Amino acid sequence: MAPYILRRLLWLPVILLIVSFVTFVLGRYGPGDPVQVMMGTKYNPEAAERIRDRLGLNDPIIVQYGRYLRNVVRGDFGESFKYRGRTVAELLGAKMWVSAQLNAGALILSVGLGVPIGLFAASRQGTLLDPLAVSLTLFGQSVPVFLTAPGLLLIFALYLDVLPTHGWNGFFHPAIILPAVTMGVPGVAIIARLTRSSTLEVLGQDYVRTARAKGLPELVVQHRHILRNALIPVVTYLGLSLSGLLTTSFVVERYFGLPGVGNLLIESFFARDYPVIVGALLIVTAVFILANLLVDLLYGVMDPRIRVGQGNVS
Amino acid sequence: MNSLFRKHWIGIFFALTALLVAVACGGESAAPPETAEPADEPTATPAPAAAEQEAEPADDEGAVSTNKFVQLFVDPPTLDPHVTTDATSARIIVEVFGGLVTIDPDLNIVPDLAEGWDVSQDGRIYTFHLRPDAVFHDGKPVTAHDVQWSLERATNPLTESPVVDQYLGDIVGVKEKLAGDSLSITGVRFIDEHTIEITIDEAKSYFLAKLTYPTGFVLDKENVEDNPRNWFREPNGTGPFRLAEYRVGELLRLEGNENFHLGAPKLEEVEFILSGGTQLLMYENDEIHVAGVSLADLDRFSDPSSEFYPDLRTAPASFSVNYIGLNVNEPPLDDVKVRQALNYAIDKQEIASIVLGDLVEPADGILPPNFPGYDENVSGYEFDPVLAKQLLQESKYGDDLDNIPPITITTPGSFGANVSLDMEVVLQMWERNLGITAEFQQTEFATFLKDLHKGRFQMFDIGWIADYPDPENFLDILFHSESTNNHTHYSNPEVDDLLMQARVETDTEARYALYNQAEQKILDDAPWVPLWFDGESKLLVKPNVHDYLLPPLIIPRLRYVYLTEE
Repeated sequence: MAPYILRRLLWLPVILLIVSFVTFVLGRYGPGDPVQVMMGTKYNPEAAERIRDRLGLNDPIIVQYGRYLRNVVRGDFGESFKYRGRTVAELLGAKMWVSAQLNAGALILSVGLGVPIGLFAASRQGTLLDPLAVSLTLFGQSVPVFLTAPGLLLIFALYLDVLPTHGWNGFFHPAIILPAVTMGVPGVAIIARLTRSSTLEVLGQDYVRTARAKGLPELVVQHRHILRNALIPVVTYLGLSLSGLLTTSFVVERYFGLPGVGNLLIESFFARDYPVIVGALLIVTAVFILANLLVDLLYGVMDPRIRVGQGNVS
Repeated sequence: MNSLFRKHWIGIFFALTALLVAVACGGESAAPPETAEPADEPTATPAPAAAEQEAEPADDEGAVSTNKFVQLFVDPPTLDPHVTTDATSARIIVEVFGGLVTIDPDLNIVPDLAEGWDVSQDGRIYTFHLRPDAVFHDGKPVTAHDVQWSLERATNPLTESPVVDQYLGDIVGVKEKLAGDSLSITGVRFIDEHTIEITIDEAKSYFLAKLTYPTGFVLDKENVEDNPRNWFREPNGTGPFRLAEYRVGELLRLEGNENFHLGAPKLEEVEFILSGGTQLLMYENDEIHVAGVSLADLDRFSDPSSEFYPDLRTAPASFSVNYIGLNVNEPPLDDVKVRQALNYAIDKQEIASIVLGDLVEPADGILPPNFPGYDENVSGYEFDPVLAKQLLQESKYGDDLDNIPPITITTPGSFGANVSLDMEVVLQMWERNLGITAEFQQTEFATFLKDLHKGRFQMFDIGWIADYPDPENFLDILFHSESTNNHTHYSNPEVDDLLMQARVETDTEARYALYNQAEQKILDDAPWVPLWFDGESKLLVKPNVHDYLLPPLIIPRLRYVYLTEE
């Protein structure tokens, strides 16, 4: 187990190095200039040149990249070009916390709705309720975010007037509901279908029949033998869905005006705020890789057969 | 939120909690799952259930208190006056810091830290006499040393101010210092503790106006040097308010400075909420004192039967102009008759009233109405499609209008913004009245700026907002042939001449007259198609808020505000 984790962790810096290099170079070779955005329409070429010099933007790109790497290794992600005097770490910290809460809300919703619906559909296999439940969630999955968001706003904020249109007041404020629902709905469908099909598969397994045959209480059979095994694909999906949620959260945060990483990144792209862009992407990448590792390890907890590094994979 | 909705949520989360617990307890040697009660698992998902309980915002907590003025705001990009370039930051900075001079609500340049000043005969040497009673927030007196140090800091290349050339570049020696050729500004001289002398390169009477911008503000040396990177999180300013608390992305709180030399503010506290929220909802909920009203909400509040109708106020237009720039070197815009024809062919009144709902004023000239030096006798182009067509035919492209060089107009737009309706209408008018088909090109803002500054556009759509109340800020900066902000490549020696005379004319009337002449000539040469000036805007102000001034420029205004019991 330990060597496996170690191996995976050793890949982390390599991937981060590649990501940082690509984003760094792409940003600087792309059109636009952070100093010009800083000055807007009131441009002064001498001042711009001076500031570019100070920010090191006139150095050869490889020198800039080297300097950046050296600072990052020391834990210094630099200062924002747009928010003068604010470190990237400070800017990102607050925003990541918001995005994390939003993503958690969406995940809770996806799982909280998806799993029961999947179980329900599986238990009603052969009746009309099964396809009905599945197609309902499928509908939710098919509708793109940029339609869900205004649709929900129209219904809950404008017509019913029960939820705010935008803003962020923490996890416990109703303002989180609409963005979290927008982000969580597509996941509901996937999780429901995964749960349904894997439950059906597990139901037909010998060990379930055995468990029942030896007279275990039905609740134990359901929890221990059915649910636990049926949820393995769901956990896989959760790991993968992190990336999906993150990209969705760009649109959703922008749409609902939430102060998260997605919104910050979009703002930074427009401002050509290189330190924030590269820093944010690095951290997001790291979170990804670690989350995926965590999911891989979770399989082991859930299904001893997948446990890594014990040599008893059958 | 109705109860049905709530029940559903609770049900869903209950089910989810049960599930998570079941999964969490599913280890090999786990206890039998049936013993796991949702309540036993404190970390699973207490959050959503609690969210439900808190769904109704607690009204009394957000209630507006008597001595505290609260408004919704966004995080300022910086609080360092010397590097600031944006309006959001400037609005906070002018309340916390100050300079030698400031702008009063009537837009006059008035004393701030200087109680008075003398100008030499030739108009180049300004001697400022500092107010003996002026102190920093920590009680330390403001001396000529502080003023000198601050000007040196602002012009230090290491400070990286993007606007210092514009605001302080007239001072003798600043250019050399910025270029790294000298270590101090030769034009700033310390006379005594309370007197400082500033020499500028020419008798530019708008120099004082430039000093009202934060780049020229006075900072406390110790404050800055003690913590060069983060000093502005706990700044020691001289303004009417001190920064009491600043939590990035959450809240910025100002406290009244009872020692303020121009009169203590009446408010004890001002709170800027930075965490976002729905402005009008918060206003209706008594959480904030002021709220802007957008066009979409205006109907609701301008109905006299509305509860908030009495709170509706009108803010004057900001000093800005929106225009289409024409690159005078690019065919077919290199012929003045084509440019004039493009001007005559547009019905600005129709655009202002029909397309933009009368929220803007059609622009006849370059300087916005009520701006210092504005003269209504300066006139641009009336809508005249016949004359437009005629001018086009008289132009050097007139013989062969079918083969007129193609025209592309570029507009900035980010994040999939639509081409604004007014631009579409402009293009239609050209097509209908002149038979010219122009093509649209929309580029993302940073790319747009790059091409704009390189002078690459044939035609572009943009606006200009005044930085200080002087016609120089529009006419010289945008039309002098050597100005870096002259994006149309317009060059007329006569205009250059008038602009240079106006720079050094000391008599205000005569100066404005020179600017009016220049403006008329520029309009005749038509390097622009001026479209519209920003119009008035609407906002709601709580009835217990008094003297909340609505100036068209950013000036320190919160010290006038006072609140009464409702």
